[in-house]
Amino acid sequence: MPVLNSLIDVITMKSEKPMRRLLAYYGILAIIVLLIVYLAPGLLNRVAAKGLAEVSTGPGVLQDALGGNATANVLAGNSLADLAVTTIMILLGTLALMLPVTWVYMSARPIPGHSQTIVQTLLFLPLVVAGIVYIVQNSLALAFSLAGVMAAVRFRTTLRDTRDVVYIFLSIVVGFSAGVQSLAVGSLVSIVFNLVILITWRYDYGRNVLTPTANSQWAGPLHVLAGPTGDHAIPDRDLVLSLTPEKAGALSDRFQRVSKKLGKKKKKPRFDSVLSVRTYDVPAAQAQIEKILQEKTKRWDLDEVVTNTGKPSEIYYLARLKKSVPRDEFLTAIHENADGVIDSVDLETRGAPLDVKSGTIQ
Amino acid sequence: MTSARTLALVASVLAGAAACRAGPEAKAAQIRTLEAERQQEVARRIAQAGDNTTKPVAVWIMPPELREISGLASTPTNHVLAHDDEIGRIYEIDPKGGIILKRFTLSGAPHGDFEAITIVDKDIYLLESNGKLFKFKEGGDGEQVDYSKYDTHLGHECEFEGLAFEPDSAWLVMPCKNVSSKGNSDALVIYRLPLPLTDSPRFTTLVIPMSEVIGSNSWKNFRPSDIAIDPVTGNYVLVASHEKALAVITPGGKVVRSEPLPPGHAQAEGVAITRDGILIVSDEARSQPADMMLYRWHQ
Repeated sequence: MPVLNSLIDVITMKSEKPMRRLLAYYGILAIIVLLIVYLAPGLLNRVAAKGLAEVSTGPGVLQDALGGNATANVLAGNSLADLAVTTIMILLGTLALMLPVTWVYMSARPIPGHSQTIVQTLLFLPLVVAGIVYIVQNSLALAFSLAGVMAAVRFRTTLRDTRDVVYIFLSIVVGFSAGVQSLAVGSLVSIVFNLVILITWRYDYGRNVLTPTANSQWAGPLHVLAGPTGDHAIPDRDLVLSLTPEKAGALSDRFQRVSKKLGKKKKKPRFDSVLSVRTYDVPAAQAQIEKILQEKTKRWDLDEVVTNTGKPSEIYYLARLKKSVPRDEFLTAIHENADGVIDSVDLETRGAPLDVKSGTIQ
Repeated sequence: MTSARTLALVASVLAGAAACRAGPEAKAAQIRTLEAERQQEVARRIAQAGDNTTKPVAVWIMPPELREISGLASTPTNHVLAHDDEIGRIYEIDPKGGIILKRFTLSGAPHGDFEAITIVDKDIYLLESNGKLFKFKEGGDGEQVDYSKYDTHLGHECEFEGLAFEPDSAWLVMPCKNVSSKGNSDALVIYRLPLPLTDSPRFTTLVIPMSEVIGSNSWKNFRPSDIAIDPVTGNYVLVASHEKALAVITPGGKVVRSEPLPPGHAQAEGVAITRDGILIVSDEARSQPADMMLYRWHQ
């Protein structure tokens, strides 16, 4: 792996952008494939495109069922060595295709944090699926036996994120394609899958502006913290229960920090808006934004800077707009002064107070 | 690891791998040696077999691509042409060396229910079960060959699984596996189609009562799955996969003999006889892989 990482570093000029690193990986993989095609023509057909293997050329040795010798077995199309080489090729091909999928899974997530179990499953599952499918092949009897075994060994698990299920499906697809010796299909599916995932993640495709998301994860807590009762209720019980103690501690620190900013209980909220800014140049963007904030808000405070690699970093401000400044005017002013350093900007303003009763931990 | 060291490592791996690449000539020479050894071994077994025509002198396991091996045809060089049931792809096999010498495909690799093959001088004919014939020339290894298609219009009368060329009469001989006409349901029907093929060919039909074909055997029927012409006597040699049987019939319709095939034939779909007296029977894969068995052939 260090060698692979070094190679990717050389090709990408040490870029941390996932897209560049992914393309570099596929470039290296393509070179390895070409090398195999050059060194052992026909070997790749065994695992990449079984249909092509059927039109192989050159002499072929038939197995001798009466006598046979070691040489014959080595040369024969169905020898044990042949089977072993094909199986190893299938497994290595599966791993080579699933490795970048795990990278994408770990990096391109709207919510920070991922399940290590799923990452490992993404590597193990296709190996097992490929093995099963390779054994079953066209045998109906084996397929029925397999169904029986699977029925006996039941496993159930609930995945938290819908996207995790899709990753699992992809690993099954790659495993199937490897098992039927058509890895060409699996490789195309996984490459396109990775690119689509990265692009949708990079541009936050499909984000509902009305729903608080990763970019505005403070909007919900702000509503509650600034609510009329001010009892610091947390709106999502399941979310809290799923946290590790470390994450809960970190969240608690954040709430306390925000709580301090909001001021004393029963008082009017000091801030009513969250300004989220996406930029590749944090210092320049801060300078531009803060000029506008100074001019257009009653008060503002820098809440957080989230530094990303491969996609724009995020800056969050808490603000209270001047009554005379409507939201559109404020955003227009930021856009006009963006000076090319701001990728996107969004302002979420507190609406009606939440029903705190329904948001408390049950 | 520095970039330079990484690149040096990759370059050395590439150079080493390129140096290790085995030449195709070396492999071909290895196969030729093996073929010669096997031919000697089969010749020894044939000599040992003596008059025993039921003990196989060689059994070759077919590769997965020939799991539905269907028809066989003997070539002038004592090789055989074989083909798969579903794709118009032809394999030339050295039956004594157990080597697939080459493969060539009909242009566009047409799919169909290919059942039998025969050689007429420089032409090769491939028969579909519905009576359609594909005519083409022999191709080189890996090549695609052009073909012409000819409909015998006999598909509605019977289902074909066998084809052979009778050189004395220049007929294509096509035994019927399943007869559609009720009048001939108790008979073995063999159509004979004169060459060259014309738009309105004059068929001759050989109808042999089934009781004569079955003889003293316990079969209820005899549905031929392939036919070959004995190069010495000119008799028709038919195999029936369902009955696991073999019958020898003269071109005049007299049954010379009918007998069970030697044991071990799961589904005999092809038969050929070489000029040097080897009977070759091929079996489609069932629970076992497809195979090709060689026997001594005496009249």
